[in-house]
Order: sequence, then structure tokens, then C-alpha cells
Amino acid sequence: MAVPLAVPPTRMELLKLRQRVGLAQRGHDLLREKMDALVIEFFEVVRRIQEARAKALEQLSVAHRALSMCFAIMGTLETKQASREAKRELQVEILTRHIMGIAVPAVEVEEIERNALMRGYGLHMTSSVLDEASREFERALNLLIELAELEGSAFAIARELEKTKRRVNALEYILIPRLKEAIKFIVMKLDEMERENFSRLKRIKAMLEERG
Amino acid sequence: MSADRLIKFELSKLNVHLPERRLSLMDALSSAKPQVVARDGSVHTFKHEELEFLAGLLPESDRDKLQLPILIALEPKLGRGTARISGEAEVKVVSQILEKEPTAGELLIYRPEVAILRRKLPTTTQYLFLW
Repeated sequence: MAVPLAVPPTRMELLKLRQRVGLAQRGHDLLREKMDALVIEFFEVVRRIQEARAKALEQLSVAHRALSMCFAIMGTLETKQASREAKRELQVEILTRHIMGIAVPAVEVEEIERNALMRGYGLHMTSSVLDEASREFERALNLLIELAELEGSAFAIARELEKTKRRVNALEYILIPRLKEAIKFIVMKLDEMERENFSRLKRIKAMLEERG
Repeated sequence: MSADRLIKFELSKLNVHLPERRLSLMDALSSAKPQVVARDGSVHTFKHEELEFLAGLLPESDRDKLQLPILIALEPKLGRGTARISGEAEVKVVSQILEKEPTAGELLIYRPEVAILRRKLPTTTQYLFLW
């Protein structure tokens, strides 16, 4: 049971407390709506993370198979040499998307997949299996970037969800019950005072009638 | 800070992610970087694929009527999990996405539908909290 607030039992205080309950109730309802919306967002992001992770893992295993094939056909040293020749700077733009004031990352990346001519290694010394392995890794990178974006969003939403839930619970289980207890106390006290006054008046009336 | 001031502060923060001025779909489509500035000064960018998707749902004459982001208004007095979509073009688009009967000017949607809408339009919709 919530600890009641120490309040003077006056009508003025009762009016103030009723206003405070109204505000607290409104805050609670709105924050609960926000919490529900955050839960929707969180589960949506989690669903997408599961899909993206499965896709990324599958693509990575395809890419590693292609690399093993490349090592076997072209040779380890030649493959490593070609990888040293291949240079790349990837332009990644990290934008923000807002979900109820929470900034979650939105990553925009230029086209990752390139043709063999753009990769930088010599074509006459390498095999087509190297092109295939490179292509598979480029595809995997694309999926990993998408996964990173989603995981960043999930962390941000989870943090906000935790904060909102704590506030909703504080309002629901502490503040509103305390205010209601205080209102109940004042109402009872005022009722009691009214009853006291009533009986006092009756007693005075009876005494006056006795004298008269 | 007293509890009341804390609640007022929380309520004042609820809608800071909303844009100062909304952008019509037509303007967004013609812009190289379709974005709006929120009340807290942050920039919210719309994804091109979503804009194209929305354009496909509306006749060309209605594209200047659709204001972005589409606001999903959450109002406790409507009941928990109920949201309101307002605006003629907005209602037209949302009812097509959710396969609901279009109504005049306003549409009430419920939590599972909000989830579907947010899944399909993550950057072109935003929550609005009303009281």
C-alpha cells in the first residue's frame, strides 16, 4: 500500500490534490501510450534483426565457401596478393530517424557491389572465382551494414522503453495511489468535521430549547 | 524537481520529434534529399522507396494533398492502443495499405494495424500524442 502524503485536511488542499491526480493520470495514460508504441517498434526491429542476421550469416557462409574455392583454384598467396591490390573507401552516411524523439540510426550506403574492373586487382593474373568471392563478400557487407543499423535501433529503443516503463510504474504504483490516499484522507476528515459540527449544532439547539 | 513539474516536463517532450512544417508528397518526391526539421532541431529524412510506394497509391492530382510525415495520433480518450489518422489523402493511403474501408477525413486504427503501418512506412509516419 502506498504511503499517504502528509497534507492539511482543507478544501483548498482537496481541490489542489484533485488537480494533481488529473495531471498524473493524464501523464500516466500518455506515457503508457508511448510505451505501447515503443513496444510495437521494438518487436518490429527485433523481427527484422532476426531476418537480417539469418540472411547475413547465410551470405557469409556462401562468401567463405567462395573464398575457399578461390584459395584452392588460384592459390593462397595469389589470392592474398590480389586482396592487397584491391582498395576501397566506402562512403557511409549515418542519418537519424526519429521514433518518438529517440534518434535511431539510418545508414545510407553507396552501391557496394562493383564490377571486376573497379576492384583494383589485375584481371589477367586472377581467376573468375576471385571475382565471385569478392562479389559474395560485397553482398555480405551490405547485409552486415543493414544488421548494424537495426541493432543500433534496437538498443536505443530498449533504453527508452526501460525509462518510460519506470516512469509509468512510478505514476501507477506510487504517485497516483498516494494522491488518492491523501484525497480519501481529506474527504474523510472533512466529513468527520461536518458530522462534528452537525452534532454540536444539534446539541446547542437542544440546550437553547431547554433554556427557552 | 517536484513530481508535477516532472510530469509536465515529460508531457512537453512527447511531441518534440514532430516537424515544424510538414512536407507534401509532391515536394518530397521532387527533392533530392527529402527531409523535415523537427521541433527539437533534429532532421528527419524520408526514404525514397517509401515515397515511391506512396506515390503509387495516390493519383497524381492528390500528391500535393498528402502531408508527410503521416501522423498517427494516439489519444488516451480513444482507448488504449487506438490511433486516429486525419486528412483526406492520408486516410486514402492508410486505408489502402491496411485494406480498410476509406472514411471521410478520419480513420481509426488499432494497435496491430499501427504495427503494420509502421512496418510499411517507417520513415513517412510518426506518432503524435494528444490529450
